[in-house]
Amino acid sequence: MRPDTTTGATSGDPVVELRSVVVAFGGLLALGGVDLDVAQGERLAILGPNGAGKTTLFNVVAGDLVPTEGSVVLKGVDCTHLPSRHRPRLGVGRTYQKARSFPGLAVGDNLYLAVVGRHGRQRALLPRSGDHSWRDRAAAAAESVWLYDRLDTRVADLSHGQKRQLEIGMAIVTEPDVLLLDEPASGLSRGERERLTGLLDELAADSTLLLIEHDMDVAFKVARRIVVMSDGKIVASGTPEEIQANALVHEIYLGSEALT
Amino acid sequence: MTARRLLTPANAALAVLVVLLLALPAINSGFFVTFVLTQALIYGLIAVTIVFLTSHGGMISLAQLLFAGIAGFMFGNAALESGARGLNLGWPPWVAVLFALAVTTAVAFLLGALASRTTGIYFLMLTLVYGVIGYTFFAQVVTVSGPGGVTSIVAPEPFTDRVNLYYAAVVLSALAYLAFRAIGRTNFGLALQGVRDDPVRMSSLGFNVPLHRTLAFTLGGFVAGVAGLLNVWWRGQIDPASISIGPTLIVLIIAVIGGISYFEGAWLGALVYVLLDTYTDSIPLIDRIGLTPDRFNTVIGLMVLLIMVLSPEGLVGILERVRRGRGGASPSEHSIELPTTSPTPVQTGSGREP
Repeated sequence: MRPDTTTGATSGDPVVELRSVVVAFGGLLALGGVDLDVAQGERLAILGPNGAGKTTLFNVVAGDLVPTEGSVVLKGVDCTHLPSRHRPRLGVGRTYQKARSFPGLAVGDNLYLAVVGRHGRQRALLPRSGDHSWRDRAAAAAESVWLYDRLDTRVADLSHGQKRQLEIGMAIVTEPDVLLLDEPASGLSRGERERLTGLLDELAADSTLLLIEHDMDVAFKVARRIVVMSDGKIVASGTPEEIQANALVHEIYLGSEALT
Repeated sequence: MTARRLLTPANAALAVLVVLLLALPAINSGFFVTFVLTQALIYGLIAVTIVFLTSHGGMISLAQLLFAGIAGFMFGNAALESGARGLNLGWPPWVAVLFALAVTTAVAFLLGALASRTTGIYFLMLTLVYGVIGYTFFAQVVTVSGPGGVTSIVAPEPFTDRVNLYYAAVVLSALAYLAFRAIGRTNFGLALQGVRDDPVRMSSLGFNVPLHRTLAFTLGGFVAGVAGLLNVWWRGQIDPASISIGPTLIVLIIAVIGGISYFEGAWLGALVYVLLDTYTDSIPLIDRIGLTPDRFNTVIGLMVLLIMVLSPEGLVGILERVRRGRGGASPSEHSIELPTTSPTPVQTGSGREP
């Protein structure tokens, strides 16, 4: 465990370990040396203004970006240069800031593909009896995100909110050990946000959750620890109460507004 | 799959069509069947691979005629015992068939792997380059072809008989149609459609996107190779000009005329093309309006333009619209056949709310 206050206190074995992670896009330093440990079962929210490097951090953990410097260790496996497609087998699932599902396929097929992606038989040309149970899992996940009656609907025909729900469904259907949610509440109505909060609360106790969220209600209700980023660096880390009382956070993230 | 699920209107229509096509030579085994229909079926079998790669993989390939050509050249080289050009290996014809398909599939895999990291216009351009390289290769390498091509190719028995060759084209077309339709519901086919829609997302879900694209391209190459064998048996010869850029574009145009999203559109487009190609100069007074046979491409061009304006989904798209207009809002026969998985029955409406 790292005692450094910028990484925050953690308990248990870390499932995500970032060491001195730097990501540079030409002259732009998106991440300027980030260290972060996330313990198994931890609920962590990452806050920060636009351009702080939150999504870049997610992309590094999820393998969509290879860091310019530093290392990424997931569940004890050095994944720094491991392509993103190997992450699901390690138990890592993610959502994207902008819903990325497959508009030409039905909701059920989208969820089914997520299961296949984690468990294999990706190039099978013949059905197998086990496929049926995977379909059942897809249907159960659809029910979890309130899309059961949309199982046969093409994603292109879903509303924005439903696409967000599907995005979360595709992440949880794989039962990931580490779940990365990038602004899952964006574009959702108040009622939908409350349902989302309830859904995230119901996740298995040993599943680790990393959440980027601008909605303070969601972030503070779901997370037990909050990390604040600014200009590609972690500038504060602590419990929601500590972050609410942190003057630096007020200054860089919220200006003069108080956190409520 | 249960019998009830197989008994869809689309399958029933296909069964009736296949029976009619198989019965046709009993009524007329002349020019229309052994020339027009056989040619249309072969063109359709090549074009359907373009439809498959485009509609399921988002890959518009201009290399499909090349694969048909490779199969034809390889068969000619392997099967002929003597001739002016080619390797004249003199192998038994069915060994030559296996050899031709193996080479075609291997080349498709290799070229597919090279192209698997490109998308959109870049993929299109790369496959065009493949086509040009293939044409140049066979035109310049006299060991396997040379500009005059390989001639006097004889089909294996029983396909020396042109009616039997027609039967083969019907059966193989039906099989390819059913196979491509079925593949869309397999793990591989669903994943391919996922790759088409969002390759980055597919990768983050755990799929090997380049390998998926490569395998789809290989499958398309194999089926085009089968069509290439029928083509070379039907023509009795093959030359590099037959896989040059002109015919390559014709195959793409066939797929577009029929409807690039519909497998059946490949054969419909091919039939329209062959009918126009064969009978345009027979239309009374057609030459009076300036459409002489050497201006055939103008007719095809106008046809494509008209279809593009009326229906970007091609002729099948037009037929679909007419059918839906008559039959109300019945679901399309071509829409994705969804599985009937029904886990715990859940009430609709508020019953689903947490």
